[in-house]
Amino acid sequence: MFFLSKLAFKNLFRSKSRTIVSMVAIAFAVMIVVFAKGLIEGMIDSVSADHIHYNSGHIKVIDEDYYKRERLLTLHYPVDGFDGQGLEEMITALESVEGVEMVIPRLKFGAMVSTEEELVAMNGWGVNPEQELAFTDLEEFLVEGRMVAPGQQEVVMGTDLLEKINCRVGDKVTILFNTAFDSLRGITFRIVGRLESGLKMLNEIVFYLPLDQAQKLLYLDDQTTELLLVTADKKLVPEVLPRVKSLLAEHGDERYQALSYRETSDLIPLMDLSAVIYNFIYIFLLSLSCIVVVNTMIMIVKDRTKEIGMMSALGLESKDILQLFVLEGAIMGVIGSLAGAVSGYLMNSYLARVGFDYGEALSGISSDLIFNTMIYPVSSIEVSIFAFVLGVVIVTIACLIPARRAARLEPTVAMREG
Amino acid sequence: MALLEMQGITKIYNQGKIEVPALRGVDLTVEAGEFTTIFGPSGSGKTTLLNMIGCLDKPTAGRITFDGQELRELDKKALAMVRRYHVGFVFQSYNLIPVLTAYENVEFAIRLVNKYHKKEIRDRVLQILDAVGLAGLAGRKPNELSGGQKQRVAIARALVKEPKLILADEPSANLDSKTSEEVLQVMLKMNQELGTTFIFSTHDPRVMEYARRLIEIRDGLISKDQRRESEDVSD
Repeated sequence: MFFLSKLAFKNLFRSKSRTIVSMVAIAFAVMIVVFAKGLIEGMIDSVSADHIHYNSGHIKVIDEDYYKRERLLTLHYPVDGFDGQGLEEMITALESVEGVEMVIPRLKFGAMVSTEEELVAMNGWGVNPEQELAFTDLEEFLVEGRMVAPGQQEVVMGTDLLEKINCRVGDKVTILFNTAFDSLRGITFRIVGRLESGLKMLNEIVFYLPLDQAQKLLYLDDQTTELLLVTADKKLVPEVLPRVKSLLAEHGDERYQALSYRETSDLIPLMDLSAVIYNFIYIFLLSLSCIVVVNTMIMIVKDRTKEIGMMSALGLESKDILQLFVLEGAIMGVIGSLAGAVSGYLMNSYLARVGFDYGEALSGISSDLIFNTMIYPVSSIEVSIFAFVLGVVIVTIACLIPARRAARLEPTVAMREG
Repeated sequence: MALLEMQGITKIYNQGKIEVPALRGVDLTVEAGEFTTIFGPSGSGKTTLLNMIGCLDKPTAGRITFDGQELRELDKKALAMVRRYHVGFVFQSYNLIPVLTAYENVEFAIRLVNKYHKKEIRDRVLQILDAVGLAGLAGRKPNELSGGQKQRVAIARALVKEPKLILADEPSANLDSKTSEEVLQVMLKMNQELGTTFIFSTHDPRVMEYARRLIEIRDGLISKDQRRESEDVSD
């Protein structure tokens, strides 16, 4: 076996240009696989993370009727504790569930600002600033000013929203909204910070204000519209969710639903499906590169027909000859795939820092959709190993075709035809 | 007991719908240690006969016994094992592996035979290269060797595993007369020193001069089988 491996390796140098072309084809395909898989994983990670941060947490506790009308941002179905006993007790109970690290209340409501030209619709998010900064990327997105402070009548808005209402950080703005009693109210806030992110929703329609202020102004004391439960990792959700559900069931309040982040997202299942589909695309890509390798191997078998006959005469069995040619292809596969995996890793490492801006391409998508227009491919050893192994396996399997042809040659025919 | 016994060997090739007989009932017995030449015109069946003897091909009819073993009963794998352990081949165009050195080409054949230790392999290869006059050229690749040197490597490759029989198909066809003579001398020496049986196919009169036995084949049949006394033979 060792001697055959040595011979297979030496054989690669018999026609250097053919070997190099084959290896480059494999390397290129593997590099594309690393890049594509890194990009898809980056997209999935980004979509999941943004959905978890700005919509659902890992688990979302919400009133069943509110969930049905979530887009309307109604204030008629708040989370007001078990049997209406207030949020504090409910949050304490939820925090005591094993695996739950944080419970974040968010009070969402519809609002508008009147400018000289138009009425600008927006969504107000009453939040606990400290928790939001700890859980989300808001600190990173805060490009000017600061986050809102509890007890202060102040707001933070996205750059595009500020532009729409012709305001800047430091200005005052009067925001109109409906209270929980459906009465119209207008309150003037000071703008204390500006956000800029790849999320259209945060840039164009959301403004943050302190939760206590939102509760007071909307007449929803000790109430909120949703509770986001945070676990140490999203992978823990399947084991934590049943515990949360049984806690809700224990308290006998059937109004509340506990939903995993996957249940509240339309995009994540689609992304997961696309990841599966892409696996077939990777195989297809590598198979295309195998055409070059198989072609090279067929030429090699043709060139070495006489040598194959000689080897049979020396007593090599068909399986040894098969092994020799498969090894030769596999070595090309290993070297080509390694080069592709390493170059793909380096490319993704660079792109993971600079990212891709899909802003132009996605300019038409709805602001409600939580989709970050900046995509950062994942640069991971696992992705490179996946592509490397896939490359080696597919190339080796492909080499079985010409290798079988070589192994089936009758020694007398091989020596006569060679 | 004879090393090789062939009885009623017939080989018919099918070329489309036409049957082409290459051998038509050959009977042949070769004793161990013989230095035999099979000669005859092109297309007479020399190579086909050599292929049958070397277990590279199976006859259409007839019986071959090699070293007491009936070859007809053996499958492809068992035939490969007979070739691996007991038969050495020397080809007209040397058929050396170009990426391997002279040493490695010889080593290739002995590696297949699982009966030597690592050090023993090295010693045997160097010893056999020395015996064929290539002691200082072990590290050279085939493209750095002359035709005669390549054929010596091929002989060393055939001899290294100590086979019972060496088959040489036109071994001098690509060599000039001086080199051809040298190569034949090497084979004769091996025959005499090691007792290895040699069967050549040739139409080169220089090869015939060295043979102890001359077998002429015509139209797929043995037309002459002549044993020669030592004084009639070059050595």
